[in-house]
Amino acid sequence: MKSMAKVGIIVLGILAFFGLLVPAVSQAAEPIKIGVIYPLTGGAAAEGRELRAGAELALEIANKPYPNISMNMAKNTGIKSLGGAPIELIFKDHEGNPTLGADLAKKLILDDKVVGILGCYHSAVTKTVSAVCEQYGVPMINDSSTSPGLTKQGFKWFWRTTPHDVTFTKDLFEFLKGLTEGKAKGVKAVKKADIDDLATACEKTEWGSNVSEVIETMAKTYGFKVKKSILYAAKSMDLSSEVGSLKAVKPDAMLFASYASDAILMLKTLKAQKAQPKIIWGQNAGFEAPEFRDTLRDDIVGVLTRTVFLPKVAQVKKVAGEVNAFYKEKTGRDFSGASARAFTGLQTWVEVLEKAGSTKPADIQKACNTIKIAGDQLIVPWSGIKFATTGEDIGQNELGTGMIGQYQKDKDGNITLEIAYPFDVATANLIYPLKGF
Amino acid sequence: MEILLGAISSGLLLGMVIALVALGLTIIFGVMDIVNFAHGEFLMLGMYTGLLTAQFTGVDPLFTLPVAAVVGFLLGILCYSGFVKFLLRGPVVAQLLGTFGLMLFLRNLALLIFGSEDRALHHGILVGRSFDVGMGIIIPATKLAAALLSVLSFVGVWLLMNRTKVGKALAATALNGQGARYMGIPTERMNNLAWGVGGATVTVAGALIVNFWSVNPFVGILFTMIAFAVVALGGFGSVPGAFFAGLVVGLIMEIPGLWDFLTYLTDSEWMGQFPMTSLKYMWIYAAYFVIMVVRPRGLFGWKQ
Amino acid sequence: MEAIRNAFDFSDFPRIDLVIAGALALFFVVFPLSPHSSFTMATMIQFFMFSIYGMGWNTIGGYGGQVDLGKAQYVGIGAYTTTVMLIRWDIPFWLSMPVGMGFSVLWSFIIGYPLFRLKGHYFAIATIATSLVLKDIFEVWNFVGAARGLGISPIKYQPPDFLRLIFKEDIYYYYVILGFFFIGILYLNWFRKSRLGFQLRCIKDNEDVARSLGINVHWAKIKTYAIATAFVSMVGSFHACYVKNIEPEDTMSLDISILIALMAMLGGAGSLWGPVIGAGILIPLKSYLKEWLGAAAGLVGIDLILYAVIIMLISAFEPRGIWGIVQKVRRRKRR
Repeated sequence: MKSMAKVGIIVLGILAFFGLLVPAVSQAAEPIKIGVIYPLTGGAAAEGRELRAGAELALEIANKPYPNISMNMAKNTGIKSLGGAPIELIFKDHEGNPTLGADLAKKLILDDKVVGILGCYHSAVTKTVSAVCEQYGVPMINDSSTSPGLTKQGFKWFWRTTPHDVTFTKDLFEFLKGLTEGKAKGVKAVKKADIDDLATACEKTEWGSNVSEVIETMAKTYGFKVKKSILYAAKSMDLSSEVGSLKAVKPDAMLFASYASDAILMLKTLKAQKAQPKIIWGQNAGFEAPEFRDTLRDDIVGVLTRTVFLPKVAQVKKVAGEVNAFYKEKTGRDFSGASARAFTGLQTWVEVLEKAGSTKPADIQKACNTIKIAGDQLIVPWSGIKFATTGEDIGQNELGTGMIGQYQKDKDGNITLEIAYPFDVATANLIYPLKGF
Repeated sequence: MEILLGAISSGLLLGMVIALVALGLTIIFGVMDIVNFAHGEFLMLGMYTGLLTAQFTGVDPLFTLPVAAVVGFLLGILCYSGFVKFLLRGPVVAQLLGTFGLMLFLRNLALLIFGSEDRALHHGILVGRSFDVGMGIIIPATKLAAALLSVLSFVGVWLLMNRTKVGKALAATALNGQGARYMGIPTERMNNLAWGVGGATVTVAGALIVNFWSVNPFVGILFTMIAFAVVALGGFGSVPGAFFAGLVVGLIMEIPGLWDFLTYLTDSEWMGQFPMTSLKYMWIYAAYFVIMVVRPRGLFGWKQ
Repeated sequence: MEAIRNAFDFSDFPRIDLVIAGALALFFVVFPLSPHSSFTMATMIQFFMFSIYGMGWNTIGGYGGQVDLGKAQYVGIGAYTTTVMLIRWDIPFWLSMPVGMGFSVLWSFIIGYPLFRLKGHYFAIATIATSLVLKDIFEVWNFVGAARGLGISPIKYQPPDFLRLIFKEDIYYYYVILGFFFIGILYLNWFRKSRLGFQLRCIKDNEDVARSLGINVHWAKIKTYAIATAFVSMVGSFHACYVKNIEPEDTMSLDISILIALMAMLGGAGSLWGPVIGAGILIPLKSYLKEWLGAAAGLVGIDLILYAVIIMLISAFEPRGIWGIVQKVRRRKRR
């Protein structure tokens, strides 16, 4: 009996000790959890890795002070307006599957109780995840999905930092138009009739099919003819029928919307079938993945791609250079369009939380709708971030812009992306027409 | 015109390779009446074997065939003696279920070991080269080599089955298992051999295919379905049947090309917009269905 | 009246089975009211869905003895009918679901007639072929959204919407599917004692004898197939309202067909409880394995490897599934 009493007192003592300790511990700020849903495996795993690296770099800069980086979030430890609370990212892999993405979102919201969501790259997945967020009233910032339909759903809990495909496709047609007017650097004006036959091959889910439609609509406005538009499965292992079909209409320009593995396969097949379009253009995604360049090497010289960031920007924009150097130190690569936008997405979350000063959904929502982030804070060449609250695209960042880059060989024999559009910031002479395979 | 010729030549070349894919299936079926759902997975493993051997040893992909053949042979025997043997005792349902399980097992094992990303051969003597024969016929060197080697393999197997003692024993077991046993032919060994040869042919086909198609752990089922269609058309159990049926199925896969040709001829807008390329595999499945309902015996087969 | 009495009459089962079943039934009813994570709730709903899929499969696959690997196409027909009718004409679930079942049954008759001329593995492969054909068609058919799929917008309808089956919380969905589950069990209980059920058992035992007894074998199989598709289509419609986003790759893929067949065969094809047992083992196994091992450990696919091994073992040693093992043990005990 006596020994039991002794044990009992000791146990009580320990409990009391912890009891006193716990409130003290909880005074240190609780981490703010943000759910991040990316394609970490599957056909876009290459891009998924980039996205993750970009987000993780932003996380590090947000949570620790980095005085040599000229960004607001680099100055603070965590979120200043929330007592220095650090941000914690919970990564989930949607594998490119929209239903899985929605399930993961639900789990993050209900079980992990995240404050908000960031993601998802695949527009098809962003569609279902944003629906879940809307249902539960949890804020979602979309950093990387460009299908225009995503901001047309009238959602109140969805904001998109990246410009969408209508903007990007307009860039393409302005580029083509400029080519006919002699505005392209190093190329004399091209006759319209020489480049007005287009053919498109886009992957068939939400993203690609929308790109295909947007191209067709815009082509009419700009006076181009889309002679063939194909939708294909990104997971295909063979695209020879598709390429054969494209070739059959003898287009001047071939336009693609492909993820990494299909972009590589497409180019290989074009080469095997000796296709000879004058222009090959990709709507970013796979065409920007490092694997694309590393696998195909010299074969991609002259290929154009829509892009949001290329290493040259680092030379032009101070903060881009600083962060790119940091990124290169950590990963051995330069930023790409994917990692740059993921970085910017998380950066936006940080700024929003700073502005909201709370983790309550309504406050975050208000912050998102009123925030304005200046262009010089961003590593991407946009004029800033400001989300539309009226008009057709609610939640869309109105200050984003796109670029078109062209793969070229530099003097050391490396393949790099040169800016081809906007014409006034073009960094090299345009290669036109393509030499053909 | 070029479109048409291009499609036909491509279809025939592809068909020869597909025939090789189906050959293993028809051998196994012929000898022991069991349909191997995991057939496509064997092919997938053959593809990985070819790819990895080429990448690790730096040897040209075409020289990896013997390696693939050995791997396939062993795999076939392993699957038979380690598992399929036990299935034969049970009802048909169990056999289906069993080879199904084998399919899932092999597929996910590959997923675990190799990851889900696409892999492809990017370098090699023939990779990326094509011959322009004129008139729109562009023959990728890899497909041509694959087709030739496939024909060689067919001839080899046919010789094996018809001119060697072992082959005749196999054929005897196929025709009448009981009778063969009475004649002193060791059925167990024949079964093992059938799976070994069947496995070897399909992995070799895989090693050939990986020269021009990319591989990931999920490609198996498509090939299984294609193989079934070929075997159904050619007749379950018939070696020459598999060859000719393979050519036909190869042509079926080029239906989009044919369609493009017709579109060009008729200049029809509707036809141009029809998503025929997305349906290219559908015709194969439909063909299987139609054949089985209309003429289950196939072209050359004797087994129902 | 007799039909209803038959449906509720479980007396031919041993007492202990009924006690266990009753206890489980009670547990199912009470479960949502106890504390649980959203993950467990989602798993339970999946369990019920696949049990019903399995029960449907079981009629033709178990009692009928013909292995059907193309059930996913009916999931698709049910799901798409409900979704399209909701999006385009605002037709509530309780109307669109029977319409979906109608389409499914119609399609099953169309392909069933030629299909049932085949047997064994030829039949199985043909079912795969038809399912893939339908999936490919849906992927290019713009009316149903092609490969993009269709989505039910979460803000257009006010949950809880009982007519259209749109809810915010999973608990509503839980009770709806639980209701379907009980109805399914009762129906199957009636079925196995009905004339068609007897005919099927006769056919499975020995088809030629059955024919000589005057049973129209071909028709019996087709009718059973239709019943199976109705089950599957019903849950397909539910699935559409639950996940609110469907696309052919996701809803009509071969993997789904395989899963359905697998669960029923694992649990014991040809028995009433078999599909439920099969789903009861495989669904939680799948979900929890994925949770624990998952992408974090880089061990993708290990849950399916486990399945595959279980299936291989069962097929080699006890093709009648887990229920078969139970019955074997019982028979031995009785001696």
